[in-house]
Amino acid sequence: MEFTALFLATVIVMLAAWRGSRPLAMGLFAALLIASVATYLHHATDVLKLSF
Amino acid sequence: MTRSLAITLNVLGLYAVALVLTVAFAAQLLLHELPCPLCLLQRLQFAVLAIGPIMNVRWGPRPGHYALSLLAAAAGFAFSTRQVLLHIMPGDAGYGTALLGYHYYTLALIGFAAAIVLISAMLLFDRQFEPEGASKFDAPDLFATVAVWLVIALTALNVLSTLLECGFGACADNPVVYELLKRW
Repeated sequence: MEFTALFLATVIVMLAAWRGSRPLAMGLFAALLIASVATYLHHATDVLKLSF
Repeated sequence: MTRSLAITLNVLGLYAVALVLTVAFAAQLLLHELPCPLCLLQRLQFAVLAIGPIMNVRWGPRPGHYALSLLAAAAGFAFSTRQVLLHIMPGDAGYGTALLGYHYYTLALIGFAAAIVLISAMLLFDRQFEPEGASKFDAPDLFATVAVWLVIALTALNVLSTLLECGFGACADNPVVYELLKRW
């Protein structure tokens, strides 16, 4: 679900970049980048199943 | 480098992102391999990479727009490095099918590294940032408009694809079926 939200947010930022105002697009981009890094950190803290 | 040449190169960059997103979709549909969470994050960063060029086409080249793409490429580089390291142990078969001898995350790592180098090279040319004529605005041509809407459409398709794959819960670590299509 989080990835659906992230892709949807990316579409919204792209539309803001193409049709909206520049400050709005920059602000939304910052929020999107923080959200994607947070999602990465969430998955990066999963326990690794190593086989040795 | 003139302003118009820089915009043309940005449009070509958008077509390159569209190609990457199309190949990812083709691999998903033709090889029946569902992308894992880290794979989806890398695919997402390729889409995010397109926001800088879209703004360059819309408002003209600015260092700030290139900075957005550099940030997206740096994040994508980190994500793909993480996945390469997950499968670096000898004997590990890796995740998914190898394409041209490399797994998708290795190709993504190379792609993000190339993006960082190319965007940095673009920033070397100062003339593109000088305004051409007083308050003159060149409306994006058809070539640029098609590129922008192509990338937006491919990203929108990923909204649908991830919804089918993950459903309304957390995405599986090793997905093998589309969650929303399980009952059909």
